[in-house]
Amino acid sequence: MDTAADELRALSRAGALVERYPSVRGLLADADADVVRRVGRLLSRVRPEDVLTAHPGTPQVRIAVTGTGTLDGVVAPLTGELARHGLLARVRSGDFGGYVAELSDDAAPAADITLVLLDAAGVFAEVPTPWRADDVGTALADRVSLLEKLVIRFTSAGRGTLVVNTIPLPRRYPAQLVDHRSRARLGALWREANAKLLRLTEDHPSLVVLDSDALAADGVAVTEPRLSTYTKAHLSPDVLHAYAREVAHLARGLVGRVKKVLAVDLDGTVWGGVLGDDGAEGIEVADGYRGEAFQAFQKVLRQLASQGVLLTAVSKNDPEPVRAVLSGHPRIAVREEDFVRVVANWRPKHENLRELADALNLGVDSVVFVDDSPYERGLVRRELPDVAVVAVDEEPALHVDRLVADGWFTVPDLTAEDVARPARYQEELGRRDFLSSFDSIQDYLWELGVRVRVSRARPEELARVSQITLRTNQFNLTTRRLQPADVRASADDPDAYVLAVHTADRFGDNGLVGVVLAHREADVLRLDNVLLSCRVFARGVEQATLSALLAHARDTGASAVVGEYRATPKNGKVRDFLPSVGFATVTDDGDTATFRHDLTDIAPPPEHVGLTVDWNRA
Amino acid sequence: MKTIDDFVTLVGDELGLAVGPEDVGRHLDEVAGWDSVLLLTLLTALERETGRRVPFAEVLEAESLERIYTLAIGG
Repeated sequence: MDTAADELRALSRAGALVERYPSVRGLLADADADVVRRVGRLLSRVRPEDVLTAHPGTPQVRIAVTGTGTLDGVVAPLTGELARHGLLARVRSGDFGGYVAELSDDAAPAADITLVLLDAAGVFAEVPTPWRADDVGTALADRVSLLEKLVIRFTSAGRGTLVVNTIPLPRRYPAQLVDHRSRARLGALWREANAKLLRLTEDHPSLVVLDSDALAADGVAVTEPRLSTYTKAHLSPDVLHAYAREVAHLARGLVGRVKKVLAVDLDGTVWGGVLGDDGAEGIEVADGYRGEAFQAFQKVLRQLASQGVLLTAVSKNDPEPVRAVLSGHPRIAVREEDFVRVVANWRPKHENLRELADALNLGVDSVVFVDDSPYERGLVRRELPDVAVVAVDEEPALHVDRLVADGWFTVPDLTAEDVARPARYQEELGRRDFLSSFDSIQDYLWELGVRVRVSRARPEELARVSQITLRTNQFNLTTRRLQPADVRASADDPDAYVLAVHTADRFGDNGLVGVVLAHREADVLRLDNVLLSCRVFARGVEQATLSALLAHARDTGASAVVGEYRATPKNGKVRDFLPSVGFATVTDDGDTATFRHDLTDIAPPPEHVGLTVDWNRA
Repeated sequence: MKTIDDFVTLVGDELGLAVGPEDVGRHLDEVAGWDSVLLLTLLTALERETGRRVPFAEVLEAESLERIYTLAIGG
């Protein structure tokens, strides 16, 4: 999606990039690396002084780049990645090969972060032709010992954070040795040098070493031979971008914007399925193909929580079943005690996140939120732009990489204080009442463009209607289960209504998500059941559907619509649904309640819903 | 990328330069905002868009956007 890049380019052309700089962060929040780099290119042409004059509060980070090759390729990704975090990058790119001078010159302009980019070509430039593994070993040892001296000098001068990368070894070098023994020797020498670089961090707190091997193992090409040969850009654009991304997270830490809270959705994120509908036995927690994928994700959550990340759950569920799974499921890998708080209720998630941050005495900008629902992510992003939102989707095997793709919780050092943090915050499970109000998200719903279509179910939809009656437990007024043959019989009955509710919004088509079953008895329309997938609760869909049905009953000569609610352990939240749309309670014995609407005063559908109805039979 | 107009759009998108059709024949030194460093980005983008190999060394020696376009499309 190019919209962010397009919008920013338009701002750039209009000369409004400086004026609108504060909006850049939001536009880049979801952008892919290409867009971030392109926007970084635009921003790198803006004078930082102008941004600071227009927006004096903008946090700025000064970055000096130096190394052994052409370095300009890192400026755009650095600028873009920092902008993604709301940070103004002031990048100073050093001369080609000037890293020795840069690092040893205490009079060089001050920088918060000095980035030294090392590459294999720089090492092989010092190696004779022809060469053997030991020649490379000698050159590497010289290089590393020089770097060590430079690091000592630089850090003892207190010149800020120094970032060095381990030197990636492209295959083109070991492949020039024809015997495996020599290749192994070269590999060992190379890694010993890199290991020495990595170990320097043990003695130098302000040194950070980025491990290139981890990037290469994920398939990031570290070099592009033509760029390397012709322009001396020995590190590929992709690997430079990956470094820039890490540096941006370091920069966040330097300006005190570290993330501390990881708030995860549960259904579809921590386990597969819908707890309220599928039950504790029906969700995918640890077994089967998908269960194993979810369990791997659970382990990573536990892993992060053990290092001081405040793990919380924010789920649209009733609290009791959630607690039962988190404390009692025999195979779940992240448990109640790993969470500092579990919020399971039916309120909009941004409200829960805001209260959660308050309760933890942290700013909402310290929260990272993970959810598989584009609706929930969109709402949180809109209402709480300071929250980092991580998208996972219906493929749980990708959850782990999505979560760790950005180093949201990366810090230079883990302190004992960090590790002890979760225990200090641990609290009882939060319990809140279900509230289906959508007042607080009204603006979002307008932007969401909710569309609802109510129509008689077509023959090919009857199986899905049956499935909804069999699987839906929460928004299910009477919990009458219907087999496909039952549904077909109703559909064929001229006095009966089998209504399918389809919804869509700007995130896409949700498909057939709701069902209304009713039948006409003389001049009364009797509701047999109303069902709605919990994926689309509280967006006005249920109100719009009932409004349409009531109007239809009135227009076709009915004197009243009657309905009932039958309590089950799972459908408590819809006990008050019919009264909330204008029905009067006729009887209520606690288990079963009956309601009546006399059709004199029908609430219109919510204004944000685009409603279409079709009462014709297929 | 089928026409030189597509190419001009690509240059604008990738490099963030406000270039128009009038710039294609100009010497690169006279294109506002041009910097030889931008070629690194442009080379990779051209290969991605055209799906074919671009002769890097010749592009690096090109003196106008028009020449780069001709090289990129294999002319």
